[in-house]
Formats: sequence, C-alpha cells, structure tokens
Amino acid sequence: MWHALRAELVYFRMWLFGGLGIAGGITVFMHVLKWLFDDGEGVPGFLTSMFLLIAGMVVAFVAQSYRAEERRARLLMAGPLTPRQLAGVLVLLPAALMGLCVLLTAFKIGLEALITGRLDIESVRTTASFAGQFWAYAQLGPLAQEASAAHRQRRSRAVVVGWGVFVGAVLVLAASWLFAGSIHGFLGPMIAAGAAMAVAAALYQGRTDFTR
Amino acid sequence: MSEHRREAAARLSGLTKQWPGFQLGPLDLTLEPGTVLALVGPNGAGKTTTLNCMAGLIVPDDGSAEVFGKPVHPARPEYRREVGYVGEENGFFQGWNGGRNLDYMARMMPGWSDDRASLLTKRLGLALGKPVNKLSRGNKTKLALVAAMAHRPRLLLLDEPTAGLDPVVRAEVLDVLWEIIEDGEHAVLYSTHVLSDINRLADELVFLRDGQLVLRTGRDELSESWRRVSFRLQNEDVELSGVVEHRQVRAEHQVITREAEATLQQLNELGAEAVEVSRMSVDEIAVQILKEGHHVARAKS
Repeated sequence: MWHALRAELVYFRMWLFGGLGIAGGITVFMHVLKWLFDDGEGVPGFLTSMFLLIAGMVVAFVAQSYRAEERRARLLMAGPLTPRQLAGVLVLLPAALMGLCVLLTAFKIGLEALITGRLDIESVRTTASFAGQFWAYAQLGPLAQEASAAHRQRRSRAVVVGWGVFVGAVLVLAASWLFAGSIHGFLGPMIAAGAAMAVAAALYQGRTDFTR
Repeated sequence: MSEHRREAAARLSGLTKQWPGFQLGPLDLTLEPGTVLALVGPNGAGKTTTLNCMAGLIVPDDGSAEVFGKPVHPARPEYRREVGYVGEENGFFQGWNGGRNLDYMARMMPGWSDDRASLLTKRLGLALGKPVNKLSRGNKTKLALVAAMAHRPRLLLLDEPTAGLDPVVRAEVLDVLWEIIEDGEHAVLYSTHVLSDINRLADELVFLRDGQLVLRTGRDELSESWRRVSFRLQNEDVELSGVVEHRQVRAEHQVITREAEATLQQLNELGAEAVEVSRMSVDEIAVQILKEGHHVARAKS
C-alpha cells in the first residue's frame, strides 16, 4: 500500500509544486500589501496563511479526480493489494497532500514569528480552524465518490450510510464556523474529516465493482 | 506441476451478475490449460462483464469464479498471480511514459520478470518513451499486453484486444499472442467482435447473447457442420432439418445449415437437383449463430 501511495504522491507532485508555487506567490504578495498598507487595523494574519491550505485542498481534489478518470483501481487490482489497502490509498492520499500543506503553513507561521518577533495566537487558532475545514473538504471528495459508487452498485445501506455521514460532516463543518478561533473550531472539522475517511474506506472495501 | 495440470485454468459456476435491464448468466464455463476460448457476441452481450468477473474486478451477485483452483475475490488476491488482464482501460498513470509505468508494475507485481518485459516490448515494437496519454490505441494495447504478461501469468484475459487496431498492428498483436499460447501451458479467454480473429487464435468459441450462453463449440466442429447449400427443387413447402436460413426464387433454393450431413441426406431423399455445397468461414458461421442465437440455442438443447 505504501508503494502505491508513494507512487501517487510522486505522480501528483507537479500539481502540488505548481499549487504551492501559486499559493506561495500570493502569500508573498499579501505580505507585501500588508507591509505597504497596514494602517494598524491590518490585514488579518490568518489570511496570509490561507493560500497554502487552499492549494492542498485543490490538489487533493485534482488527484482524486485524475485517479478516478484514469481508472487507477484497475491497475492496482492487477497486483497483490486488497480492497482494504486500496481504500487506504484512497483516503491517505488527500490526507498526505493536506498534511504537507498544513506543515508548510505551520513553517510559514513559525518563520513569520521569528522575523517579526511576535506570534499572533488568535491568528494561529483561526488558521487552524481553516486548516481543519479544508482538510475535511478534501476528505469529503472520496466519501462522495464512494457513496455515488455504492448507488451505482445498488448497495442501499452503503448509500444511506455514505450520504448520511456526508450530510452529518457538512453540518458539523457548518457548526464549527461558530467556534472558529477556538479549539472546537479545529476539533470539529478534524472529527468530520476522520469520520469521512473511515466511512469512505469502509464503503470502498464493500465495493462490488472495481472497474472505475 | 502435475497438480496444476489437473486444475482447470478457469471455472465459472452459476455466475450471475445483474445490472438494471441486463442479467449475465447464470454462466457455467470451464477453461482448460492450453486452450484458447473466444467469447463472441454483439455489444452488450456480457463479454466484458464475464471477463471482469473472472479478473475479480466485479463481484458477482451469485455463483463463483476460480482460477487454477483459487477463488476469485477482490479480498483474496492470491489468484491474481495467475492472471494477466488486458481491458479497454488499464489504469495506467497517463502522464507517465510506458517505461515508468512498467517500472511501477515491476515493483508491485510478484513474479515480474524484467527480461520478459523487455523481450515483449521489443517483440511488439513498443516505444516506451512517450507518455501514455500520447500513445495511439495500438500502442496502449501493446503496453497493456506487456504489463499483463511480464509476470508470467498462466491465464490471460483479453477484452477486445484487437478492437480499433489497424490491420498491421492487429497482426503483430495476434502473432505475439500466438507465440505465447503455443507452449500449451497458457489458457486464454478473450472477447471479440472482430470475427476474423477467431480463425487465427481460438480453439473453442462461446457465443453470448443478452447475457446468456447461446452455444459453446469447437472451431473445427463448427466449420465441419455448417454449410451453404444451393439446389433445385420444385416442392415449394420444403422443410429441411438444421437449416437456419432459406432463400428461394421459384425452384432455386439456397440454404445455410448447421447440420450439413442431415440436410444433404434429406435433399437426396427429396430428389433435389444441382446440389452445390460450399464451406463457410468461421466468421460467416459466427454471424449466423448470433443472428439466430436463440433459435440455435433451443435447437441444440
């Protein structure tokens, strides 16, 4: 499974580097604007961290869409991987892409704190809330894909569970905005993301059709 | 090895799969090692579904599939060591070139032989430097063949391997397949609606129509029993056994029969004149069987 996951990461690395390049450029531009025009009220600090996270989410969506379009399951099913391992690749790929971007964002915040000699805790918390939200959005893609696959394969229980958890996760994410900037604003989305991952993996293992 | 020889290369038992408006099976089918079996049928007959079930890509609603005695199920991948599958879509990394895809397969597939992959690549004249999404249909098929055969599977499942290929590439692909199956160790199950391929490769033919097995027969048996017969006979209401197509202009008749011997004997008894018998190609016979599918199945049973 790790070999397959690594290969996918290598395959999508140009997308990731491209996304991070654009996001990095925008981030630098935002900092320049902040430096030039900061009138005291200021650009909220979390905004400058947003774009690296958005890049991770977009690349996760792109990767999921390409894998489905290229019918990767067919290739992997030629080898010794079980559906459980394939499900692992399905949910860990967006997690890995998002995780990398979250790490980069943390690095950027740390670097900023080092340069300015000041860490805006409120901004860090808000950024964490956004990170949780975007991470969960990235995991909702595979869940929706598996719930749709279950519908095509006429697995009614799986359809109900899949879409039920999807709706539940969206409600949790919506409610979590009320707590943005607090620990709940981060934990809520991460619980939603975890539930989406677990259910998407379970639905994948129950597939009756691996042709797409 | 002797134990392997006793096992069927593939066995389907009561295999059933339903889609809205379509049901495959129940299918019972056995494929012996060293046999090339062609699944013949029009689009939507259930050929691809049958192959996907045998490859473990689709879980049947009922019944089972086995490959060399190993159950075919996605969660039990032991059978995959024995199977090479070439479908219309093969899941390659489209942005990578053929060589890189093969490298990936080499690390993933137990039993992969780089030597064999190189040999097949050379034999098929496949250039590995281009990204897969820039390859022609023929080269994609060749790449899929190399990927499917480099781990030395004993069962090859080929879904329309020559569809959409130009005659030169088709001949190359068929040549390579022929060389591979020549050793008698491999079993091949392939679906086709390119009927001219049948003559080249298949030992046996299975005709599918609307998800049902219409007829299973040997290629030679088929070409021995089917004939086109023309004759002159005044009797207008003549009923001949085994005839699947009958054209008549006044006293001149032309029939296609699947029981040539019986038909000729009957014509002799009826006093038919100017009887001319001509052989039919397997392609022509296949078309007749698929046209008359249900009738033939009923008559055979």
